[in-house]
Amino acid sequence: MPSLARSEWYDLTRDMNWTLSYVDTEQAWPQDLSNTYGIPAEGWWGWDEPYKITYAEYVHNQVGKDAGVYSVNSVIGRSRMFDELDPGWKSAIIAHYGAIAIPEYLAGIGESRMGRFGRAAAWRNMATFGCLDETRHGQIQAYFPYTLLGKEPRMDWAHKTLHTNEWGAIAARHLFDDMFTANDAVSTAIQLTFTFETGFTNLQFLGMAADAMNVGDLDFGALISSIQTDEARHSQQGEPTIKILVENGKKAVAQKLVDHMFWRSWHIFALLTGLSMDYYTPLEHRTHSFKEFMNEWIIKQFIDQFRDFGLERPWYWDEQFLGELEWYHHALHLGIWTWRPTVWWNPDAGMSPAEREWLEAKYPGWNDSFGKYWDVITANLRAGRAELTLPETFPMVCNMCQIPVVSPSGYAAGFLKSPAPLLLDLEGRRYIFCSEPCKWIFEQNPARFKGHLGIIDRFLGGLIQPPDLAGALAYMGLSPEECGQDATGYAWAHPNGKA
Amino acid sequence: MALFPVQGIFDGDFVVLLVPVDTDDPMTVVAEKIAHHVVGRRVAAQDRPMRVRCQGEFLAEETTIAEANLAPLDVLEVVYA
Repeated sequence: MPSLARSEWYDLTRDMNWTLSYVDTEQAWPQDLSNTYGIPAEGWWGWDEPYKITYAEYVHNQVGKDAGVYSVNSVIGRSRMFDELDPGWKSAIIAHYGAIAIPEYLAGIGESRMGRFGRAAAWRNMATFGCLDETRHGQIQAYFPYTLLGKEPRMDWAHKTLHTNEWGAIAARHLFDDMFTANDAVSTAIQLTFTFETGFTNLQFLGMAADAMNVGDLDFGALISSIQTDEARHSQQGEPTIKILVENGKKAVAQKLVDHMFWRSWHIFALLTGLSMDYYTPLEHRTHSFKEFMNEWIIKQFIDQFRDFGLERPWYWDEQFLGELEWYHHALHLGIWTWRPTVWWNPDAGMSPAEREWLEAKYPGWNDSFGKYWDVITANLRAGRAELTLPETFPMVCNMCQIPVVSPSGYAAGFLKSPAPLLLDLEGRRYIFCSEPCKWIFEQNPARFKGHLGIIDRFLGGLIQPPDLAGALAYMGLSPEECGQDATGYAWAHPNGKA
Repeated sequence: MALFPVQGIFDGDFVVLLVPVDTDDPMTVVAEKIAHHVVGRRVAAQDRPMRVRCQGEFLAEETTIAEANLAPLDVLEVVYA
């Protein structure tokens, strides 16, 4: 039995900083990996995490979490629960596993970088737990879909996606490399833990866990809930890091890091969660629209945090961000459904008459802005012209977010002044951007981004052979059996049952 | 005569498309090549001629891609006249 109370030894073990004498600071904490933004070493020693835990407590908690969630998986694996899930929901979780499982594992690199190169011992201690968390999340989100392989072969994309050149995988790698695998410790704390995790994923996981329970996916619900409890803890590394920056006169640094990553997080969030909430979740189980979720959870929390830390709303908040909230994910949904062979899940159109009524109620004007496209698509399907709903060329893809450029729909819906993408000619190469913030992020640090080749750059550069859609699908690692199809076989287009 | 990639936007559509055209294509053909990916697929057809616009200026129907002095990946908008 320990002879000291926790409070008597805790700070000594978690927060023992010291002055270096055998090596200089740059050798111990190289600027590229640590990046103090000019704050002296002692300036970081007041770093104080709001949630405290010992290693023994951590291990005890994690063992309990794993025992519970793996037990649920084991029991449900013997049932027919997965077989009876809605096709749209299955698509949502297949997309989730492919986009998230391996990036969670990669997030362990970001956490371990903070665990080594963070400038305060307390921070390094917290980040070490974060590294263990992310390793667990990578493993558990690879294992759960693995147990479903017999029922859904495309569950192997949980492990496969990030190892392919599928366009969404390129987008995910570009984002997560920027956010944590190729980021310094201080910027990672602001961009991964504060902006992405505290701001987006922590709340997203709460919402997804609730949705999973509503649709009867107890397996996924238990998994996501288990992960969320870890995220809620390790995401708190951002708050004390921002405080240190602000207290040392580096508010502008924190502001720029947040502005940069909030926009990037928004775009990937709209792509994954926007489609899942407003189109893939069965109508009878939708408790809120994506826009309502954003307003009630994400936006409110961010505004509170900006106020608490003395930060401003990002410069693009009113015009670009709140504008895109009205149209962006609807355009992405139409794009993903149209280019469905290029994704590893089966996009659910979600276009039954009742679903269209719901969309119009949640997004007044949706019928005029987006319903008109689906009218033409539906007419083609009813006339037996399904081939006209499939693509024969590629969309242009943004050189920052790596997501198709859908600015024409923002223009058509009345939220943008021009349908055209933004261009930047730099050192003999033309870069394409979907939005002003994406171009702004690039221009803040061109050396960081200019060498990357997006999927269209690769196509035009001759890296994809043969240079057609079939060649592109092969390049993306998609066999004909793996290419996405409409999730319900176009049942939504034939409400009277006639195909 | 050579393949030439442009960014095509059809008025009323939702996405910017990569469209391969030919340097010898006049704007009437360029309009058709861009419209092929949109009209009757997402945007209803209209019985009206189409025109091509670049940076806000309409290009003459007989002007070819080569004559228009365009750069690869310039943005061409197609609208019904």
